[in-house]
Amino acid sequence: MFRHTALRYTALVLLAAGALFQAFTAEYFGLEILTEILILAMLVLALDIVAGFGGMVSLCHGALMGVGAYAFAILSTKAGIAPPVAMAGAVALTGGIGWIIGAICSRSHGIYFIMATLAFGQMAYSYVFEAPIFGGDDGLGGISRLDLSIIGVDLNDSRSFALFCLAVLGAIYGASVLILRSGPGRSLSGVMHNEQRMRALGLTVWRVKADVFGLSGMIAGVAGALAAQHILYISPALLSWTVSGEALVVVILGGLGTLVGPLVGAAAFVVLKHELSAVTTYWHLVVGLLLIAVVMSRANGLFGWVEARWGARIERRMADATRKQQPEEVLSDA
Amino acid sequence: MLETRNLTKSFGAVHVTRDVSLKLERGERRVILGPNGAGKTTLFNQLVGELTPNSGSVHLAGEDVTALPVAKRARRGLSRSYQKNTLFDGLTVEENLGLAAAVHTGNATRLWADSLAKPEVREIVDEVAEQVNLMPFLHAKVSEISYGVRRQLEVGVALATRPLVLLMDEPTSGVGPEMSKGFHDLLNNLPRDLTMLFIEHDMDLAFDVADTITVLNYGEVVFDGLPEAARGSRLLKEIYLGSWEDA
Ligand SMILES: Nc1ncnc2c1ncn2[C@@H]1O[C@H](COP(=O)(O)OP(=O)(O)O)[C@@H](O)[C@H]1O
Ligand SMILES: [Mg+2]
Repeated sequence: MFRHTALRYTALVLLAAGALFQAFTAEYFGLEILTEILILAMLVLALDIVAGFGGMVSLCHGALMGVGAYAFAILSTKAGIAPPVAMAGAVALTGGIGWIIGAICSRSHGIYFIMATLAFGQMAYSYVFEAPIFGGDDGLGGISRLDLSIIGVDLNDSRSFALFCLAVLGAIYGASVLILRSGPGRSLSGVMHNEQRMRALGLTVWRVKADVFGLSGMIAGVAGALAAQHILYISPALLSWTVSGEALVVVILGGLGTLVGPLVGAAAFVVLKHELSAVTTYWHLVVGLLLIAVVMSRANGLFGWVEARWGARIERRMADATRKQQPEEVLSDA
Repeated sequence: MLETRNLTKSFGAVHVTRDVSLKLERGERRVILGPNGAGKTTLFNQLVGELTPNSGSVHLAGEDVTALPVAKRARRGLSRSYQKNTLFDGLTVEENLGLAAAVHTGNATRLWADSLAKPEVREIVDEVAEQVNLMPFLHAKVSEISYGVRRQLEVGVALATRPLVLLMDEPTSGVGPEMSKGFHDLLNNLPRDLTMLFIEHDMDLAFDVADTITVLNYGEVVFDGLPEAARGSRLLKEIYLGSWEDA
């Protein structure tokens, strides 16, 4: 069950501060990297909701993101729909598809669930690859970003776009917390801990799984629509299962089921990728070794490791601090 | 309130439920006795829908529920506890009870509010915690409470759906006689209109609570009647020699 702790709040504040610092000080290349991190962070939040809090390890979230990107691109370019409406449409579509995938896969568990989601992802990939409307292997270009000139913001400026993505990520984080604390979110946690018992208590398990998977799909859709606006060109590679695999790596690297951990993971992963690929073409080897080290350490990712080491101590400090504060408050009242 | 008609179930050549017909009136407290392997748990599994009988039917509050899935039967007011703890390990006692109460109040599927923070859910959680003596443990995780307290929680979770009929599968299995006695006092204090069917290993304990007794042996009902009659029954003595002698 999701809970904010002092450590998690601290990490969030540090992450936000780091992102803001980067957004205001970095030049073009640094801003591109920041935006890449922010969009990946949205995708891994979506994945952590279902995998970390529902035990639904999905290998189709990359494809859902790709569907969001293509839907936005087609609606806003070929169908000539205003970008904000196109974005809403893309998000609704990925939500709907996510709901259906969640409903259909709700009966399978473990490896079978993973395979079923992989199959859905591959179906989407090959459809986008083959259907002429999507531009096949060549992909689609001519995408434009949302027009926020009414509030005096030009998203074609890298800095503004990065800040916009940061604001959207903040909103998505808030929405993720609300989802996890909602009725379906709580029930899904119950299902992850003991599906048989939740059913025996009268819960329609498939509905809860489908609902949360659909909401998670919407978040992946937002990430997709922003990814399309970021690179202004999309190709079927966006729907490749390796994108889902990478997202899963990031979630595990950061800390499954902690929400904050995957954010840390996204930052670490992208920075590592860029730093290492500048030095060696074999950067995947290093990331692989890191992932193996994290998994072997039995810690729940980088952030899980920090929580296990310092979480309890910080909580105790905070409890002591509030206890010390209370008598003073009583005095000041009197 | 709860009725079975000619319920029959076999696993291959093994007949685990033979033509079982039971009838519980509203507010009746019936104990099922029977040696290990008599088919008591299998009968429960068919009552709640976790197993499908080969033939026969289950009726809840006058309605044939034989074809209804587990969750739907539960929402009609049938709740059970398990012989082997089936809890939400890793969550707190409060969350365990809250998840059940949220299902009962319809909050478990509502998106717009925190189901565990709803006043009606919290009210049920407090009531049930009071009923099964879990108040001191509300904020403890399942892993932090003793086995005996977990057995109480096992029943508490079933009670938190505010059922019409409560099925309990050996609620005191594995806990000492002291605690079992205390637990039966608890059951005696539950609302009188709650229909209870429960499996109990210890005959004397069973007589504390039971209005009526059913004895199963090899999947068959071999006794159905009042506790006084059961005490004198020779058949029961033979089946139950072990625990009869112990007592
Ligand atoms: N799923 C199953 N498959 C095969 N045999 C089973 C299964 N479940 C229970 N049994 C058998 O049914 C009999 C009754 O079991 P059970 O209902 O658990 O007995 P009790 O609860 O009275 O101790 C036992 O012999 C057991 O081995
Ligand atoms: Mg049994």
